[in-house]
Order: sequence, then C-alpha cells, then structure tokens
Amino acid sequence: MKGNHMKELTKGFFEQNPVFIVVLGLCPVLGVSTQVSNAIGMSAGVFFVLLFSNIIISLLRKVIPASIHIPAYIVVIASLVTVTEMVMHAFVPAVYSALGVYLPLIVVNCIILGRAEAFASKNTPLDSALDAIGMSIGFAMGITLIAFIRELFGSGTITLFPVGGFSGVINIPWFYDNPVRVMALAPGALLLMGYLKAFFDWKSSRKKGK
Amino acid sequence: MKKNLKYAFILLSICAVCAFALGYTNSITEPVIARQELEKKTRALEAVSNGWTIGEQESVESVPYVVYSLPLTEGDATTGYIVGLKGSGYGGELTLVASYTLDGKMLFAQMLANSETPGLGKKSELKGYMDKFVGTGATKPVPTTKDMLNSSDAAAVSGSSVTFMAVGKAIRGGSDYVKTLGGSK
Repeated sequence: MKGNHMKELTKGFFEQNPVFIVVLGLCPVLGVSTQVSNAIGMSAGVFFVLLFSNIIISLLRKVIPASIHIPAYIVVIASLVTVTEMVMHAFVPAVYSALGVYLPLIVVNCIILGRAEAFASKNTPLDSALDAIGMSIGFAMGITLIAFIRELFGSGTITLFPVGGFSGVINIPWFYDNPVRVMALAPGALLLMGYLKAFFDWKSSRKKGK
Repeated sequence: MKKNLKYAFILLSICAVCAFALGYTNSITEPVIARQELEKKTRALEAVSNGWTIGEQESVESVPYVVYSLPLTEGDATTGYIVGLKGSGYGGELTLVASYTLDGKMLFAQMLANSETPGLGKKSELKGYMDKFVGTGATKPVPTTKDMLNSSDAAAVSGSSVTFMAVGKAIRGGSDYVKTLGGSK
C-alpha cells in the first residue's frame, strides 16, 4: 500500500513527466520560460491549483454525474485559478506581474483538467493529492530546466527573486557578453523543447530496452 | 426532467460554493490590491514629475488615449503636465503615466498596469524602455513603429512590436493633448 502511494507521488517526476513525456501544458512552458523566476512562479501557481483541484474533484467524484463532469471540473478549476490570481496579485505582486496573461491561462492548462479527468475522478483524495504533488514537481522540473537553459543562453543571466540587497539577477560571465538572442524568443523555446523531448524519448526508450 | 433538475442543482451548488469562496478571497485581497495600486501610481507620478509640484488630478473624457491629467507647477507658473494614458497592447489594455512640457515634449514615462507577454512586451516595465520616447512629441515625432528607431533600439523591442506601438501611440496622444492645453489651464 505504502509502495503504491510512493508510486503515485514519483511517477510524475520522470516516468510520466507532464512536460517531456506526456507533453501537456506546453503553452505556459514555452511562454513563461524566459526567466527562471517566472518558471518558479508559474510552478507555484500550478502546484496550488492542481493540488486543490485534485483533492476537491476526488472528494466530489461520487457526487458529480458523468454527463456534467466537465463543466463541474471547469468551475472548480477556474475558481481555484481566480483565487490564486487574487492572492498573488495582493501578496506577491512582482510574480503576479511577471506571469501576466499566463496566470489566468492555468484554467486551460491541460495538466490540471487532464489529471482531474484521468486520475482524481477515479481515485481517493490521498492518492489524488500525491498525484498532484508529483505532477507539479515534474512540471516544475520541466519548466525550470527550460527556463534555465533559455535564460542562460538567451540573456546570460539567471533571474531569481530579490531578497534584501540582492537584486535577484545573477549575471553569468561570457554568456552575458555573448547572448544567443533567439533562445529568449519563441523559436528558441520551440527548438529547445524539441531537443529536450528527443533526449527524454531516447532515455525512456533505452530504459524500456533494458 | 427529474434527472436534469438534479444535474442543475448539483452544478448550482458547486457554483454557489465557488462564488462564496471567491467573494471571501476578494474581500481579503481587494483592499490590499487597491492600496498597492495607489502606492504604485503615487510613486510613478513622483518619478515622472521632474521635481516640479504635482497639482490636482482632473479626469479627461473623449480624448483618445488620455484618461486624466495633472498640472506641474514651479512657483506660480505651470511648467508642464502629467497625463494618465491607456493603450491597447498585445495582452489587452495597458496604462501608463507620462510627463510633458507645455509644448508637448515628453520628459518621462512609466508603465503602470499591463498584461503583456513575459519576456517580450513585459520589457516595457523595465528601466530604460521609455528612454526611446524621451524628448519626442514637440519637434521630434514620437516613434510608433520600429522603423522610426535606430538599430539597437529596434532590436530591444524585437518580438514586442504591438506593445511598442501601443505605448508610442499613447505617448503621442498625450503629447497632442498637452499641446491643446498650451499652459493656459
């Protein structure tokens, strides 16, 4: 039983990574991954929404009839996203401002609705919460990796959050003076996503071969 | 019929609980957001005032791009205006404030609210973005397309032409408005 719970938690890290293996939620992954701080902020938003939507939908799985499950899920998810948006706007305005239009777009992020439909509606709240945590971590790893590579090569910086005297921006020598501008733009995001997807496919096919 | 009523009741119940949760969250966050917006606007007005005294805000209606204006004075003389502007960016409406001398020359500008794309149009919030417009509006035309910029400035706004155009047109609208005031106000 314990092993099953662990599997629900860890499957989203690599085996069913939502970004590189299942290829869900690519809109924010490609759009927001210009800076590492944006990726972390988006990951936090997805974590909150996915965790609570999975728990609520799992709790309501016997109450919501199959014929109205999509509108019911969308209402729950949209409400959670709006709550996230209001809380971020009030208490972390810098992150709210940086995420821009991608924050409300979490409503249509396929990971959220996909996990609600494929997992939370059929499993217990505990397993659904573990699934949400695992998938959120997998999403965070994917988007942060892409943001790290794009920002490093595209701008020569790593942007985190300002704390005290630290401005939040780390300039990386050589990369800062020789930026590959295309990496900061949409074509760079698509190119990088393609290479990383190919790499993860190669890795998983090798694992299956063994 | 009975089944449909049951479905409607379930959806209504879910919507009611969600509406209550949203209303409660809004009651907590709304005053905080309003205070932040006011502080941000006050800081922006101070930043673009050029050290002159900021007068009372007046609403402006039926003038394209212009929402409100505030006179800038030095002693008894009116030296310019701060104009609250709005434009239509890639992610929807954007708002900014800009200060002008009486002949419509832009002095400073600062972005307030916007929903532009992170990494692209969001660059309009960065320090230095508005430098492309400084000194324009009187004798020099306000740049509204990338063609009107030098190559390094054009590269800096690459990928966010819509935002740049929206900011440029709003600043030009503010300049035109200030010219009509002519310091007589």
